[in-house]
Amino acid sequence: MTLTATGFDWVRQLVHRESAIVLAPGKEYLVEARLLPIARQMGLPDVGQFVDSVRTRPSPESTRKIVEALTTNETSWFRDGDPFTALTSTVLPSLLADRRPSDPLQIWSAACSSGQEPYTIAMLLEDALPNAASRVAITATDISREMVERTRAGRFSQLEVNRGLPAPMLVRHFSRAGTEWEVAPTLRRMVTASECNLAAPLPRMGPFDVVYLRNVLIYFDLPTKQAILRRVRALMRPDGWLFLGAAETTLGVDDSWERVVIGRSSAYRPLKGA
Amino acid sequence: MRALVIDDSRAMRRIVSGTLESFGYETRQAGHGQEALDVLLEGWVPDLCTIDWNMPVMDGLQFVSAVRSNPAWRAVTLMMVTSEGEQSQIVRALAAGAHEYVLKPFTADAIRDKLALLGLLPQEVAL
Amino acid sequence: MSAPVITALLDEATIQEIADQAWAALVGEDEVLVPLPGETGPDALSSWVEIAGPWTGIVVLTCDRDTAEELTRALLREHAPAELEAEDVTDALGELANVVGGNVKAVLPGPSVLGLPEVGVAPRASAPADTCRVDAQWRGRPLSISVQGGTPAALDLPDSDPTHQNGVPL
Repeated sequence: MTLTATGFDWVRQLVHRESAIVLAPGKEYLVEARLLPIARQMGLPDVGQFVDSVRTRPSPESTRKIVEALTTNETSWFRDGDPFTALTSTVLPSLLADRRPSDPLQIWSAACSSGQEPYTIAMLLEDALPNAASRVAITATDISREMVERTRAGRFSQLEVNRGLPAPMLVRHFSRAGTEWEVAPTLRRMVTASECNLAAPLPRMGPFDVVYLRNVLIYFDLPTKQAILRRVRALMRPDGWLFLGAAETTLGVDDSWERVVIGRSSAYRPLKGA
Repeated sequence: MRALVIDDSRAMRRIVSGTLESFGYETRQAGHGQEALDVLLEGWVPDLCTIDWNMPVMDGLQFVSAVRSNPAWRAVTLMMVTSEGEQSQIVRALAAGAHEYVLKPFTADAIRDKLALLGLLPQEVAL
Repeated sequence: MSAPVITALLDEATIQEIADQAWAALVGEDEVLVPLPGETGPDALSSWVEIAGPWTGIVVLTCDRDTAEELTRALLREHAPAELEAEDVTDALGELANVVGGNVKAVLPGPSVLGLPEVGVAPRASAPADTCRVDAQWRGRPLSISVQGGTPAALDLPDSDPTHQNGVPL
């Protein structure tokens, strides 16, 4: 065990602050096991040194990796429900009314992780639109190369597909591949995954009709949040839709968005003239 | 909210009912499909049944068919919880009228997520 | 057309992965089955389920009795009674065979039928060529998972001695 008591305590507080998840005493070896791959990725010999280095010089990327590594079992399909049902109930009809039939529908999943979010969107649109495959383009980005590759592969373990994926959608959109489940080729073709660091100038993408930027702003300080929202907005259509995480809001961060309540969630749309 | 936990393994019945109780459910247990039907027939109609597939006397698929053939039990949500993971089996269960399907091995989070999808989570569950 | 041998259908890594997921979800998040050789004693206990389909055989879990008791407590967590009864152990071990067996079945060409778990002295593997086996250690104790071709009924009876089926004493 290389993790010190101070180190564990720091990790515990970080995780609780960023994810509300409580790491009880006794979970030191879980932290040790989950953070070892990241420590190695960072070129450090053990978790103790890794945590000490992050603790003394925290960076958004390393703190994010730590939180993710310890909360990965929170990745699920249709996370929080409403932001996805809102897509088919409200956003899609509005877009179809406002766009020409030949216009592509462009969606950005801006912290795609292992792919559950972009493929949730793909499944919903495939079921809602007869010509989704030819009309919808989903851009999936993540800061982690590993996550981008996982999204490209579109393969999920049994434990992963158990998390919030309706069974009828599982059988309709996936097929078994050994012990795993693989997303159907039509859905995989709708999704293009690439690496992207939101805290840096963004590559040319979009313009997006819908952006999912969920549970990622929380890792950044206020000026960076503001910069990210500005950059995201610049890649969106003026009448586009932005979805944030369940506990997130643009309020107090960026007043150039209009909040639209849809069911029990909210979407944000660029304010005209702002 | 009431749940009937149907599995021939007592360990599994304890685990599933414990999980459901932590979500606010009142639970009863049955060791196979016929025992479960008897509970419904005696008038204790649950909001949710969790159903194992392979059981003696009456298996999970037969139980699902029996429940779905009775209009009085139309509002009962049927969720398979089983190690049967072949795609064709899942399709069969859904076709027979099961509403959801949880693959074993599962975690409490998996059950919680499925219940949230179904609108059957009685209370906000803290992580 | 003869049935395929198991080694053409899956490998140790697949069994290991199935077992790892079962252990992580049911025994405990941080529980691992370390692929290390180990031998169970003469009094070891087994649970198994039959798979009948394009490939027919059994999936067998074997461990020492005290390991089985510890597994039962881990599986039951806060529901474990202070005093474990023999039936608790056969039931828990049987359910683990059901979970591992069901997932093995799903990897094989189907459709196949999964039998109810049996517990006792397992049938020996009759055809080494039609056997795929993982020897592991759980909390330092030996535990094996063997996927073996052939049916218990087809084997010599003395090799198979189930004492329980489906948790019920025979």
